[in-house]
Amino acid sequence: MRIGIDVGGTHTDAVILDGDKILSATKALTSADVVGGIKHALDTLLLDASIKPERIQTVMIGTTQFTNAIVQRRELSRTGVIRIALPSGKGMPPMIDWPDDMRETIDADIHMIRGGYLYDGHPLAELCDDEIDAAIASFKAKKIANIAIASAFSPMNDAPERHVEDRLRQAMPEARITRSAQFGRLGLMERENAVIMNATLLPFADKVVSAFLGALKNRGLTCPAYISQNDGTLMSSDFVRHFPALTFSSGPTNSLRGAYKLTGLENAIVVDIGGTTSDIGVLQDGFPRESNVVVDIGGVRTNFRMPDILALGLGGGSLVSDSGKSVGPQSVGHKLVTDGLVFGGDQLTTTDIIVAAGQADIGDKNRVSHLSEVVIQTAKQTMRDMLDRSIEMMKPGGKDMPVILVGGGSLLVTEGLAAASKLYRPENAGVANAIGAAVAQVGGEAEKMVNYRITPREESVAEITQIAAKRAVAAGAEPTSIRTVDIEETAIPYMDEGATRVRIKVIGELAG
Amino acid sequence: MSESLSHIDAQHLDDLALGSVFLATGGGGDPYVPKLITAEALKTFGPVKLLNPVDVADDAFIVPVGSVGAPTVSLELLPSVEDAARTLDAFEKYIGRPIDAVASFEIGGGNSVIPICAAAAKGLPVIDGDGMGRALPEAQMMSYPIGGVKPTPALAYDYAGNQATFETDNTETYERHIRAFSMAAGGMITAAEHAMTGRQLKDTVIPGTVSFSVALGRLLREKRGQADTLLKPLQELFKTSIYGECRLLYSGKVTDKTTRIIGGYDIGEATIEGFNGCNDPLMINIKNEYLLARQADKVRASVPDLITIVDYETGTPINAERLRFGQRVAVFATGCPEFYRSERALKVVAPRCFGFDIDYIPLEELLS
Repeated sequence: MRIGIDVGGTHTDAVILDGDKILSATKALTSADVVGGIKHALDTLLLDASIKPERIQTVMIGTTQFTNAIVQRRELSRTGVIRIALPSGKGMPPMIDWPDDMRETIDADIHMIRGGYLYDGHPLAELCDDEIDAAIASFKAKKIANIAIASAFSPMNDAPERHVEDRLRQAMPEARITRSAQFGRLGLMERENAVIMNATLLPFADKVVSAFLGALKNRGLTCPAYISQNDGTLMSSDFVRHFPALTFSSGPTNSLRGAYKLTGLENAIVVDIGGTTSDIGVLQDGFPRESNVVVDIGGVRTNFRMPDILALGLGGGSLVSDSGKSVGPQSVGHKLVTDGLVFGGDQLTTTDIIVAAGQADIGDKNRVSHLSEVVIQTAKQTMRDMLDRSIEMMKPGGKDMPVILVGGGSLLVTEGLAAASKLYRPENAGVANAIGAAVAQVGGEAEKMVNYRITPREESVAEITQIAAKRAVAAGAEPTSIRTVDIEETAIPYMDEGATRVRIKVIGELAG
Repeated sequence: MSESLSHIDAQHLDDLALGSVFLATGGGGDPYVPKLITAEALKTFGPVKLLNPVDVADDAFIVPVGSVGAPTVSLELLPSVEDAARTLDAFEKYIGRPIDAVASFEIGGGNSVIPICAAAAKGLPVIDGDGMGRALPEAQMMSYPIGGVKPTPALAYDYAGNQATFETDNTETYERHIRAFSMAAGGMITAAEHAMTGRQLKDTVIPGTVSFSVALGRLLREKRGQADTLLKPLQELFKTSIYGECRLLYSGKVTDKTTRIIGGYDIGEATIEGFNGCNDPLMINIKNEYLLARQADKVRASVPDLITIVDYETGTPINAERLRFGQRVAVFATGCPEFYRSERALKVVAPRCFGFDIDYIPLEELLS
């Protein structure tokens, strides 16, 4: 038996699963301290199903806390940044293309120093300890303890990053350090952006993980706890203390995976309608379709693998104006329960329209009786058009596809959608994210330097895939469910021709 | 015809860069970072005047400037804001005369904006046109040398400010020399070369490509969406341009992709398999650029015509160094400017010049 919890910005959802069977599900408000919401959800859940905590084998948590922190520019700590690449990139400092408000919030202490490598293994410039020490002195003077390090070509040779890290650790044993080589692939600016975002979240990550574990312990759950990451696989909660950035897209990933689990539909469009936006994603063979392009998070370019999500400004709290011809993107958001007309407020929202149409019974329907039939019908048509248009954009060319509606705002869809071959509103759709977290998978990764002239590519790839698969099985994956999700090859041209670093990631379902 | 611009300022840069990636046919390097340094330069020095080649005086002194190297390198070895202007300073000092206007090697990729960055800092105008109408991997493939412009005197400037000068009459030789210098200097350098008179420029330039790239970028931004829906607007834009034909060759998923840096180039191939799995896969050969598209050994498009791979869902063009296993893509092909279909041009840009044992057949004559 396992518990899946989704800690979102407004709601904390939780489910107990026994195999594929949902024994209990609940939805609570996320509390300011996070802990209260989780405790509250766990109490309802365990009580509901009358299950003793010791029968729970695993807890899986999905959270958008870190993404929200970046998007809302809160809980971001002052960060030190060292880029090791001078004399290249002069006048192009780290964070140059970040949104101004984010740069101001993080107030980074940026140091560009000489060093790094060239593509052919020659040093770009010699590292200079005086420059490193000057950066350290500055961090100390400003009491900065979270530090991001990035050097040119570190995926091929991370010695400069390691050297700077060692020197930092000697001088500042308490410092929390993230190195860009830990974030994989080539692309210095994107990799650097990822480590800066990770470093700035480290203190918050401690707070959140401690809150999670504290809440579980408090309710007698002593089983292993995992947190879901971007690609839908799990990581240990301790790992998240060091790599909170790896959770950035776990929200949409869990929502899509949950929708798949609820309907069994492997290929479908998933529309997750919340208070402010409708997040539209695509299930392909049961997995989120990935975005092909460089993804930005809170306006910052990154190289994470992310699900391809189209966010449409239409939710249960979206404002309706112009006699129903205009809907959103402005929204009262979670203040719907005070500001919406049916709740006694003075803002006309999409929810008010549906209540006025007699298709939902929420709040006081007398407060919307003055709305004319024309306004109601026009607003409904506007919403349908918005959804149809966006779904068409996400649909793989010309194919008929079913649409799965999840999320609290799905009541906005009262009739069918022209873009959907069939419409599904699964039971428990409100807790799709928690279910997605509970069915999260286990990954295995393997990396090896090979020489294609000695071992041909196909053979090398097969061999490394096998190592990755073994690791996934060791971590609890069901062997027959394992599939390759990423093959990354980095040619190392200055070594023997044919030398390549190959990194392969596989994932599989959690066994049992 | 798309409208000719009179100036380039910061607000044009995003569209120019986006259009340039489409025209880069996978090569040319990601213009994102060059665009950032150019934005910095335009912020400091103000807009740059764009000169229609027909308005250039016959005796004006025009110098093309740009980066030379392997695109993968530019992901890690970042340019400095001052590199391009310092290159022109050093070039002027080397030959002892001032430059009247700056031109582009190639409109495809980062070299679409580098001349603008240099021109802004130097207070010079930039030519509305380039030496390829796309991106191609070698210097002798530019329209300037094909039309008889000498490659040197030339000057190369590396990330550390080291310089090298070149003197040779032959662009193939120059290409080998500057490539060797680029490789020895970290894989990416800035060069000023193929200096010419206004008369020579008029005879050899591929005209109007800076304005066209801005128009193409604007179209891709405004019509952002699935590749199938982009086809018609693209065809309308290309039809009245120097490129002509535009086709959607294939849609599918990248099932294999390998490239390695060999001899200063990214060399390799990609396999794309149809979404429905029943078509033969499309094979793409890469040498910095997407050069050849074949399906079941039938040529679907080849250099010097343009082959462009875009993200299937958004129509955003994808550079070869960012093309990855699992991506869902569409492959477009467009005709090349007439200049490149002349006998003298095909001598250096036909498929055989890249080691493919096939004759060049214009896109319009291939079965679609």
